[in-house]
Amino acid sequence: MALEIPKVSYSGKIKEIVLGKGDKALTVGGETSYPFYLFEGQMSLKPRIAMEVYDSTPEDWPPAALEPFADVVSDPAAWAKKCVDTYGAEMIALQLVSTDPNGENRSAEEAAAVTKKVVEAVDVPIIIWGCNNAEKDTEVLRKIAEDCAGRNLMIGPVTEANYKQIGAVAIGYEHTVIASTPIDINLAKQLNILLGNLGVPDGRILIDPTTGSLGYGLEYCYSVMERIRMAALTQEDERLQFPMVCNLGKEVWKTKEAKQSREEAPKLGDPVKRGVLMEAATAQLLLLAGADILIMRHPEAIGLIKDMLNDLLAA
Amino acid sequence: MSKIICSAAIRGAYKIIERAEKKYGEALEKWGPDKEVGFPNTAYYLPIIYGILGIPVSRLGDMKQVLDKCRSLLPPPVSDKVWLPYLAPALESGMATFFAEEIIEAIRYLEEPDFYTKQEDPAGSNIWLGAADDIILRKRGVEFVDGTAPGFAAILGAPPTKEIAVKIAQELQEKNLYVFMCSDNNGVRMSEQLLEAGVQIGWPTRLVSFGPDYTATVFAMGFATRAAMSFGGIKPGDFHGNLIYNKNRIFAFALPMGPVSDEWYANAAGAINWGFPVIADTPIPEILPTGICTYEHVVSNVPHDQIVQRAVEVRGLKVTVSKIDIPVAYGPAFEGERIRKEDLYLECGGGKTKGVELTVSRDMDAVEDGQVEMVGPDLDQMKEGSRLPFAMLVEVAGRQMQEDFEPILERQIHHLVNYAQGIMHIGQRSIMWLRVGKAAVEKGFRLKDLGKIMHAKYHQDFGAIVDKVQVKIYTDEAKVDEVMDMARKVYAARDKRVEGMTDESEDIFYSCTLCQSFAPSHVCIITPERTGMCGAYNWLDGKASYEINPTGPNQPIVKGECIDPVLGKWKGTDEFIFKASRQKVSTASAYSLVHDPMTACGCFECIATILPLCNGVMIVNRDYLGMTPCGMKFTTLAGMVGGGQVTPGFLGVSKHYIASRKFLLAEGGLKRVVWMPQMLKKELEAKLKSRGEEFGIPNLFDMIADDTKGTTEEEILPFLEETGHPALTMESIL
Repeated sequence: MALEIPKVSYSGKIKEIVLGKGDKALTVGGETSYPFYLFEGQMSLKPRIAMEVYDSTPEDWPPAALEPFADVVSDPAAWAKKCVDTYGAEMIALQLVSTDPNGENRSAEEAAAVTKKVVEAVDVPIIIWGCNNAEKDTEVLRKIAEDCAGRNLMIGPVTEANYKQIGAVAIGYEHTVIASTPIDINLAKQLNILLGNLGVPDGRILIDPTTGSLGYGLEYCYSVMERIRMAALTQEDERLQFPMVCNLGKEVWKTKEAKQSREEAPKLGDPVKRGVLMEAATAQLLLLAGADILIMRHPEAIGLIKDMLNDLLAA
Repeated sequence: MSKIICSAAIRGAYKIIERAEKKYGEALEKWGPDKEVGFPNTAYYLPIIYGILGIPVSRLGDMKQVLDKCRSLLPPPVSDKVWLPYLAPALESGMATFFAEEIIEAIRYLEEPDFYTKQEDPAGSNIWLGAADDIILRKRGVEFVDGTAPGFAAILGAPPTKEIAVKIAQELQEKNLYVFMCSDNNGVRMSEQLLEAGVQIGWPTRLVSFGPDYTATVFAMGFATRAAMSFGGIKPGDFHGNLIYNKNRIFAFALPMGPVSDEWYANAAGAINWGFPVIADTPIPEILPTGICTYEHVVSNVPHDQIVQRAVEVRGLKVTVSKIDIPVAYGPAFEGERIRKEDLYLECGGGKTKGVELTVSRDMDAVEDGQVEMVGPDLDQMKEGSRLPFAMLVEVAGRQMQEDFEPILERQIHHLVNYAQGIMHIGQRSIMWLRVGKAAVEKGFRLKDLGKIMHAKYHQDFGAIVDKVQVKIYTDEAKVDEVMDMARKVYAARDKRVEGMTDESEDIFYSCTLCQSFAPSHVCIITPERTGMCGAYNWLDGKASYEINPTGPNQPIVKGECIDPVLGKWKGTDEFIFKASRQKVSTASAYSLVHDPMTACGCFECIATILPLCNGVMIVNRDYLGMTPCGMKFTTLAGMVGGGQVTPGFLGVSKHYIASRKFLLAEGGLKRVVWMPQMLKKELEAKLKSRGEEFGIPNLFDMIADDTKGTTEEEILPFLEETGHPALTMESIL
C-alpha cells in the first residue's frame, strides 16, 4: 500500500484584493492553503513587493541602503520612477515620514502635493503610508484620498483611532485601506469588523499585523500572522480572510546591526551584505508566515526574495 | 397611527401628485418626451426615484411610469366610517409624494434654469441652492460616514422670530448637524430669517437653504438616498436596503415649524419611511410607539428652547464631546501622580472630612445634559491647606442605560478624575479621597471642573449607554449629608442586587475572549456567581462591556438547557466554547476542577489544584511567592495551567469566586479547601467565615491550613486531622 500523506483540510479562502487601477493593477490574496503548501491548495496570485520611496531626504540611512538611490533621494517622483524603470518595481510604497508632528511636521497639503507627483510619475499600484500618528495621519490621508480620487491607492496605517475618518474617505473616493493593529489577532479581527460595519467593502481591506525586524521581535509577529492565517483558512474566521501587508524595510534598516559600519562591528562582516541579508531574511520569514505584500528597500534584497518566490511557486 | 395624520398625509399626497401631473403635462407639451431632465452634475438621476424604484429618469418621457407608480401607491382617501390601521397607506402616500416632488423640481430646473444657484453658497440675491451635486455629496457624505456630521435636520417653514431661528440653527450646528431648510410659514422662511440676522448660510456653515417651496424637501431626502448608494453600496432599486441604511446610519429628523398643512403631513409621512421622526412645534397629534423609526415617530408641541434637544433624543443621536474644557492637562499619563503634603492645596474625604461620590441613572427629562451645579465654596474661595466636605453626584440618563450599569460607571470616577494633572483621587464610594495640588489651582482648576470631566468622559467612553450627563458637586455640609444619605441607600440596594444574583436566575452569561491573542483556544465563561478568573470582569461588567462594544470580546451567551447543575454545564455555553475555541475545546464545567475544567488564559488571580494526600484542594494567589504543598510555586503552576489548555486537576480562579456559593460545587465547594496562603485567607476572611456558617461549619475558616502551618502535604495533614477538616472524610476527590 502506498503511503498517503495526510493533508490539512481548509474551509476558507483569502479574499482577492485588486491593487491600483489600469493596466498595471495587481491582484493579491486568493490563497486556499497555508503559504506555499502547494500540495494542499492554491496560491495562484503571488505575493508582491512594493519598493519604498520617502517624501523627504533620508537622514539616518546606512550607506548600503542609500547607495542605490543616491541620485534621487531628494525627489520622490524621480525616486519612484527609478524604482520602476531601473529596478522593475511592481509596486511603490510612499512613506510620508516628514508629516510626523514630532519631526518635520509637514502639512497635509504638502504631503498631498508630493503624493500627487509620485502618483503621476508611475503607473504601478501605490501604497501611501502615514507617519503613525493617528491624528495627523487622518488629516493627511483624507486630503490625499480626496486629491487622488478614484486611483485606488492603498492607504494606511488605519487604526482603531482613525478608522472612521479614513474609512469614510476610502469609501467615498475609492481607495483600499490598510487596517493596522499592534500584533494582536483579536484587535485585527475587530478592526476588520468595524471597517465592515462602517461600510468599507471587503474588496478594499488589507491587514497590517505590524512587523518587526529579524532579531527585534519577529517571532511574535510571525506567530500572530500564522494565527491569523490559521483562523482564516481552517477556522472559518471570515473577518480575517484578507491579504496581509508587511512594512518591513524601515524596520530592518533602522536596527543597530544594519547600520553599523565595518569599523564599528568588525565581527559582523561586510555591512552591505549584512543589511541586504537581514532584509531578505526578514522578508522570507514574513512570506512563510503568510504575507501577501512586502514593503522593502534594497534592490538586492528584493532580488533575492523574487528568486525565492520563483523557486517556491514553480509548479 | 393617528387617523388625523394619515388622512391629512393622504390628502396632501393627492394634491402634490396632481400638481406633478399637471406640470408634467405642460412640460411634455412644450418640450416633448425626449427632452433631457435631471438635477445638475449627478450620476444618480432623480435620486429618490432612482434609489427606491431603480428607474433612471433622464428624459421627460421617463416620468410617465413614475407618475403611474405614484397613482398606484395612493390609497383611497380616508373615509369617516372606516377605522383601519392607517400606517401602511400613509407611508406609501409619503413615498409617492417624494417621487412627485422630484418630478416637480426636475421640471423647475427645465423651466427656470437659474432658479437655484447650483453651487455651495448663495449667489448674490439668489439664496436657493437646490439639489447638491455629486461633488458636494461626496465631500459632505464622508462626514456622515465618519460621524463628524451625524445627520441633518430638515426644517420646513420657520420659527416665529429670527432670534429663535438663530438659536435653533446654532444649537443644531453645535451638535454638528446639517440644517436643510425649505418651505415657508405664512410667507416667512428660515433661510431668510438667518440672513436677516446676519448669519452666513450655505454648505460650508452647514445651514443649507435648499429652496422656498415645500417640494425642496426632496433635496434633503435625495441627499440621504444618494448617501446610501454612494457610501453604503446600496444598489438602485433596493428600497429596503436604502431605507434601513438611513434609519441606522443617518441621524436625520424633520422639524416642521408652523402650522402643518396637508402637504407637510405628506412630506412628514414620507420621511418616516427613512426612519426620520418628526418633531413639531405645533400641537398636532403624536405617534409615539416605536416601529419604523428607532423610537417615536411624531412628537409635537415642543417649545422652541427644547426642540433641538428633544429631536436629538427622539432620533437616538449620540452627543460627542471631543475636548475636555479644563485648565489642566488631562490623560492617562497623570493617573499615577501623587500630591504630597508640600504640594497640597485642598483635600476632601479620606477620613479627614466627609466625602462621597455616586453615579445614578434618572429619567430622560430629569437630566439636563452638560449641566454642572456647584453648591458650597470652590477652590478660589479657600485658603491653601484647607479641607472641605465633598459630594459628587453624577446623574445620567440614556435609552440604553440600565440600573445595573450604575456601579460600573461609578467605578470609573476614580481613574477619570485621576487623569487630570495635579489632582489625586483614591478610593471610591463614601471612602473616596481627593487631593488638589497647588499647581492645578494656580492654573485655574476649580472643583466644578470635575463635573466637566465626568460629562465629557462619560460621553466619550460610554456613549453607547449614556445619552445625558449632569453633575452636582457639593462642598456645603448639609448638601453633602443629603447625598451621603442617598448614597448609603443606593449602595445597600446595589450590594443586595449583586448578592441576590444567581446562575439560575439569569438566562444570559457572558464570554470573555480578551486573552485569545496569547491563549488562542481560551474562552472564559462569566456567570453571575463565577467572575472571570482575572478578577477584572464580573457578570455585570460583561453585560455593560457588550452594550458599549458589541463587537468586542464579551459576547452574550444564552445558557440554554442545563446539562449538569452540579458541574455547571449548559448546552449554550458548550456550543459557544466549541465555536469560540475554534473547535479546540468542546465542553467546560463552570464549577469543577476535575471534570472538564475551564481553560485558563494566564491572567488568573489564583490557581486551585488537588492535594491528593489531604483529599482536598489548595489555592494559591499570584502575590504569594513561596512554595506550596503541591510542590510547585505559583509561577510553575501558572506555566502548566495557562495558555488555553484543558488541565484536569488545575483551575484558574478569581479571589471573588472562592467565596461564591458555586465555588467548586462539583468537588464539595469550600469544604474541600485545605490550604491557602495566609495573606489570601486574611483578605477573604469575612466572606469565607460567612460561607463556613452557611455550611454549618462555623469554624471552617480556622480549619484551613496556611503557610504558617506548613508548605508540604505532610506538614499540613496533621493540622487538618487535629482540627477535623471535613475534606478528610469526604469521598475521594480523584
